[in-house]
Amino acid sequence: MKELIQLNNVTAGYDNGIVLRDVTMSIVQHDFIGVIGPNGGGKTTLIKLILGLIKPFSGSIKRFDNEAGSFIGYLPQQSHIDRKFPITVQDIVLSGLMSAGKGFNRYTFRDKKLAIDLLDQIGISHLAARTAAELSGGQLQRVFICRALISSPKLLILDEPNTFVDNRFEHEMYELLQEFNKKMAIMIISHDVGTISYFVKTIACVNTNLHYHPSNIITEEQLAGYNCPLQIITHGNIPHTVLQKHDHSHDHDEHFIHDHSHDHKHE
Amino acid sequence: MMSISFMIILTTTSTNKMTGILSYEFVLHALEAALLASISCGFIGAYIVARRMVFISGGITHASFGGIGLGYFLGINPILGAAVFSILSAFGIRIVSKQTDIREDSAIGILWSFGMAVGIIFIYLTPGYAPNLMSYLFGSILTVTPTDLAMMGILAVVTVVIFLMFYRTILFISFDEEYARSHNAPVETFNYLMLTLVALVIVINIRVAGIILVISYLTIPQSTANLFVNDLKKIIFLSTIISFSGSVAGLFISYYYNIPSGATIIFVFVLIFMIARFLQYLRNLKQRGNPIV
Repeated sequence: MKELIQLNNVTAGYDNGIVLRDVTMSIVQHDFIGVIGPNGGGKTTLIKLILGLIKPFSGSIKRFDNEAGSFIGYLPQQSHIDRKFPITVQDIVLSGLMSAGKGFNRYTFRDKKLAIDLLDQIGISHLAARTAAELSGGQLQRVFICRALISSPKLLILDEPNTFVDNRFEHEMYELLQEFNKKMAIMIISHDVGTISYFVKTIACVNTNLHYHPSNIITEEQLAGYNCPLQIITHGNIPHTVLQKHDHSHDHDEHFIHDHSHDHKHE
Repeated sequence: MMSISFMIILTTTSTNKMTGILSYEFVLHALEAALLASISCGFIGAYIVARRMVFISGGITHASFGGIGLGYFLGINPILGAAVFSILSAFGIRIVSKQTDIREDSAIGILWSFGMAVGIIFIYLTPGYAPNLMSYLFGSILTVTPTDLAMMGILAVVTVVIFLMFYRTILFISFDEEYARSHNAPVETFNYLMLTLVALVIVINIRVAGIILVISYLTIPQSTANLFVNDLKKIIFLSTIISFSGSVAGLFISYYYNIPSGATIIFVFVLIFMIARFLQYLRNLKQRGNPIV
C-alpha cells in the first residue's frame, strides 16, 4: 500500500498548552478513517497538522506528495464561513485549484468546465451562477465538497461534514464518499460515531493521545480503554450490533457492514 | 482658495449655468477627482465591505489625522504624513490583534483616538494657524490640484492593475483564509498588500471627501450595489458607477444651492441607497404576492 501521510511521535498544540501528545499514524491509499473523540480532544488539531496549517512542537510529519496543494482536498467546518460573502458557486469550486504558484488568474476554460462537471456530478450544476448567500446549508456543503475534489486529491479530509446537512443529503453524502474512496483515501471527523462507523473502514480515537482501531466495529468498552469517553448514539436505521460489545464471532449475514469490515481486514 | 471658489459660484448667473459650470477649471478638476475617487474606492470599498472591514477602515482613516498634524508640525506635505500614519496604524491593528490578546475592535478604538489626539497636539504646537485644516477634515473636491489628481490617477491605475492581475487570489483568500492557507496560497503577503492599498486609498481620497466623510465613498455605493448583485466583481463595477453618478449629482446640487460639496455628495449617496432599498422592498413584496415562478 502506498503511504500518503506519515506522522511520527508528533506532539502539538497552541500557546496555551499541548493538545496532542506523541501521535504516530500513517494514512495509506484507499484508507477510510473515521476520527472520533471528545470536544477539545485534538481532532481538529490533528487535521491542521496534516494540512500544514500548524507546525508540531516535536516529531515529524511526512507528506508523500509530488504536486503540492492539490494533494489534499479539505472540507472545513462551515462555521467560520461568512455566508453573505459576495462570491459565486463556480468561483468557490475553482478556489480548490488555488496553489502557491497560482497567484495570477490562470484559471482556464478547462478549469471552469471541470468545476461545472463536478457540480453536475453532485447534482447542483444549475446553481453554478448563484452566490453563496442564496444557498441552503446542505447546498453549500455540496459546493464545498466539489471545491475539495476539483484538484483530484489523493486524500480527502472532512471536518464534521454532517453539521449543517439535512438527513437526506447526509445519507447521499456518505454514499458519494464510498464512491470517491475508490480513487482516494478519506479521513472524516465526526461526533456521530454511530453513523460514521457504518461507512468507515477504520477508526482513530483522539483524546490527547491517538489510538488507532483497525476496524469499523468498536465497543463502548474499547472506547473507554482508549481513553476516549464517548457516548454512542444508535440510530434507527443503523445496525446497533456494530456498536455493542462483540465477541468476535460476527453474525456474517446480519449486515453488509460486517462483511465490509472483514474484507478490509483480509486485504 | 475655498472662498474664491464659492465667490465664483455665487457670481455665476442662472441663465447659462449648465455651460457655465463646465467652463471653470476647478469644476473639471472636481469631476476628474470624482471619477478617480469612484474608481479606487469602487474596488477597495467592495473589498472592505465584502471582508467586513468597515470599522478597521474607519480606524485607519482617523488615525491618519496624526500624520496630518505631524506634517504641519514638520512643514512637510500633510498627506505624506497621513500616508505613513495610516499604513502603520493598519499594520499595527492587525499585528496587535493577531499576536496579543487585545481584541481587534479594541485595538481599532485605541489607535483611532490616539491618531486624532496626536494630530490635535501637533497642530496646537505648530506656530501660526494651520491652513486648509478644514479641507482635510471635511474634504474639498472643488480645490483639488493637478498634483492631487496625478496622485489619485496613479493610485487608481495601481488598484485596477492589482485587481486585474490577482482578482481570484484576492477573492479566494478573502472568502476563506484558512482554506487558502491549506493550499499554501500567500495569504499573509496578500493581506498586507491589500491593507496597504486600503490605507493609501483612504489617504489619497481624504483630499476629496475628508477624514470625516471618506468612509462614505468606501461603503455607501458598495452597500447599494450589494442590494442588487452579490458577486465581488459586479459589486466593484456597479458601485463605481453609483459612486461617480452620485458624486456628479452631488457636485451640481451643491453648486446650485451653494452648500458644501462633500456633504452634499454623501447626502446623495444615502438618498440613492434609500431609494434602491425601497425598490428592493417593493420587488420583494411583489414576489411574495405572486409566488408562482
